Amino acid sequence: MTRKRLSLLAALALLLPLTGCWDRRELNELAISVAMGIDKSDNLYEVTVQVVQPGEVTDKRGTSGQVPVTIYQAKGVTIFEAIRKMTTVSPRKIYAAHLRAVVFGEPLAREGIGDALDLLSRDYEPRTDFYLLVAKGTTAARALGVLTPLEKIPANKIFESIQTAEKAWAPVRAVTLDEFIGDYENEGNNPVLSGISVIGDGQAGETKENVESVRPAAQLQNSGLAVFRKDRLIGWLDERESKGYNYAVNNVRDTVGHVPCPGGGHVAVEVTRSKASIRGSVKGGRPRLAVELNVEQNVGEVQCRMDLTQTKTVQDLERRSEQTLEEIVRGTIEAAQRKYKTDFLGFGEAVHRRDPGAWKSLRSDWDKHFETAVVDVKVNVKIKRTGTLGNSFKEKGRE
Amino acid sequence: MNDNGKIHSRQLMVLAFLYTVGTTVLIIPAGLAAIANQDAWIGAIAGVAIGVIVVGLYALLWRLFPDKTFVGICKAVFGKWFGTLLAVIHMFGAFIGTATVLFYVGDFFQLHFLPRTPFAITCSLFALVVVMGVRMGLETIARASELMLPWFVILFGVLVLTLAPEIHVDRMLPVFESGWKPVVWAGISFAGTAYMPIVFLFSVFPRVKSPDKAWPGMIAAALIGGMCVVLITLLCVLVLGPNITSRSMFPSYALVKKINIGNFVQRIEAIMAGLWFVTTYIKTTFYYYSWVTSLSEILRLKNYRTITLPCGMIMVVFSLVVYPDVVYWQRWDSTVFPPYILTLGFLFPLLLWIVGRWKKDRSYETGRKT
Repeated sequence: MTRKRLSLLAALALLLPLTGCWDRRELNELAISVAMGIDKSDNLYEVTVQVVQPGEVTDKRGTSGQVPVTIYQAKGVTIFEAIRKMTTVSPRKIYAAHLRAVVFGEPLAREGIGDALDLLSRDYEPRTDFYLLVAKGTTAARALGVLTPLEKIPANKIFESIQTAEKAWAPVRAVTLDEFIGDYENEGNNPVLSGISVIGDGQAGETKENVESVRPAAQLQNSGLAVFRKDRLIGWLDERESKGYNYAVNNVRDTVGHVPCPGGGHVAVEVTRSKASIRGSVKGGRPRLAVELNVEQNVGEVQCRMDLTQTKTVQDLERRSEQTLEEIVRGTIEAAQRKYKTDFLGFGEAVHRRDPGAWKSLRSDWDKHFETAVVDVKVNVKIKRTGTLGNSFKEKGRE
Repeated sequence: MNDNGKIHSRQLMVLAFLYTVGTTVLIIPAGLAAIANQDAWIGAIAGVAIGVIVVGLYALLWRLFPDKTFVGICKAVFGKWFGTLLAVIHMFGAFIGTATVLFYVGDFFQLHFLPRTPFAITCSLFALVVVMGVRMGLETIARASELMLPWFVILFGVLVLTLAPEIHVDRMLPVFESGWKPVVWAGISFAGTAYMPIVFLFSVFPRVKSPDKAWPGMIAAALIGGMCVVLITLLCVLVLGPNITSRSMFPSYALVKKINIGNFVQRIEAIMAGLWFVTTYIKTTFYYYSWVTSLSEILRLKNYRTITLPCGMIMVVFSLVVYPDVVYWQRWDSTVFPPYILTLGFLFPLLLWIVGRWKKDRSYETGRKT
């Protein structure tokens, strides 16, 4: 009996060391960072961290009217040091497991972000599900300073906004750390990142008034894709080119485009399905590249006179869409071949997969081969529906 | 020798299965991807093929001496002195194996779960459970592993199913780019980590009921265990890609971090880690069991249990120093371990089998003459 009691006591005592709370950190000891900005000044990394003010983001009453997030900044030779140095200004240690976005200032991105990425992939705390972005035409510190309406935490707004835009509008791409490093390491590809820019008065965006007025003084906008050669930013794609990029790499889920009508005016078409494949082969030592794109669309808005009840009209519209899409995709390939002389669409990887033997002789100077390569673009469009209407009401008025 | 109880052939199957998966599943994908890139999984399959030969050899040796442990076989074949020398080398292999496996477990915990907890504490707690199991005897561990098997199967099933949406098939292209050499190398390193340690299960073999029925089951279990690791390696390549796989310390953990179904089922890596608790526990336990029983047999102790506690302490202390740092660890694993385990796990058994076979034949012959 005593033995039984003793062992019970021992079992209970065991619970104490087994709770795994050796280095517990409770919520009130953490500075939960949701976004990190990395810039460089005077050869030092300048790290900006957006930290949630827990009391201000709860749905319950009792917020004291402070801003929902605060920003800590520190400089250091390495990023790791800079983050730890933040404890000199922050009462709590920065906790990085809930990072949503990491923003690089454009000047740093042009110098190269490879070194900056090492910490993020080496440290155990950050997960790999945050997005990487480039602050277009500004520093990361500026971009993270803007308060945003609708989503109280700006980092969440950045995160959600890039997802939504990727799903519904196409010219952005949500890129995670793994994807970036994958494209960086791949000899037949180069990375891209989405850009984010501050529109309006950035200074005014840092105060609470920004979210108190109907028309915020400053807003954050997703703007085009940044093209990298390895880890260095070499230029930007405009909206059309960014869209073409996403069409080519099969990253379009839903978007809206327009097609010119025969007699002037435009028809807006909504893309409901898009399936692309990039192919590469080698013939006689020269690469032959191809993009094949299959798209299903709906007619979304008609701004011209056309009889949509006729199969011929729809077929004609399909041909016109194909032409437009081909131009868009060709525009992006053009930019890659002529303007940036860099293969960021992954044609090299396609060649590698198709013909590993021939790739061995091409890989060392692939960008040169890519520049002069012929690229076939084949687009196939099918228009499925015309919305809730058949013909436009304007069609009747004409008769 | 002096252990109570016998185990069934089915229990041996479970043991051999979990033992094969062991720590292999945690670390091997990185090494394979470093050697063979996207063909890592082909290397793993080659490893299973080599492994079947290795385990087949063990089965032959087992059938030759169905009631002897490895130490006993050494003495029976090579006599007292040389046999004991071989047995001591074998015993040290088990000792180093125990410490390294314990180090993996501790390192894994420290890196991903308990970064500030002293290494010695994590190791001691794990070792405590291992020693407890071994003190209770083979029968208890065998039954415990039978209870653990369903958990393993459930978690493994969840792992494979939840990762299915993250698969990018084109990551494995071009197939077989690396050619034969890396694949065979990867295969040998796979067999070295997964299969050759099965030589330490020779301390269990004499305690299996009806060995004639048990050995095919053991080969089958080793085969299935190997296929599980092949599947994980394939998933690593398809989900993470060969580069990230080769760079990760524990690629299969990096793999489960990727689980995300509709932004709802995610961040379940701590639960999935239960998978490795089960397999690494079995692996550590049997390395340890083999070490302790071999030692006591060499020393001709009546009962191995007397040395379980002191050996447990030595094991913990040695695991703290066995690899001074992570870089040393990776160098040791890639340069020293393969020839070492090849000697212990293949050359020794082969030698014992050939000589043992020859001696038996001879005694049979002489027996017939007289």
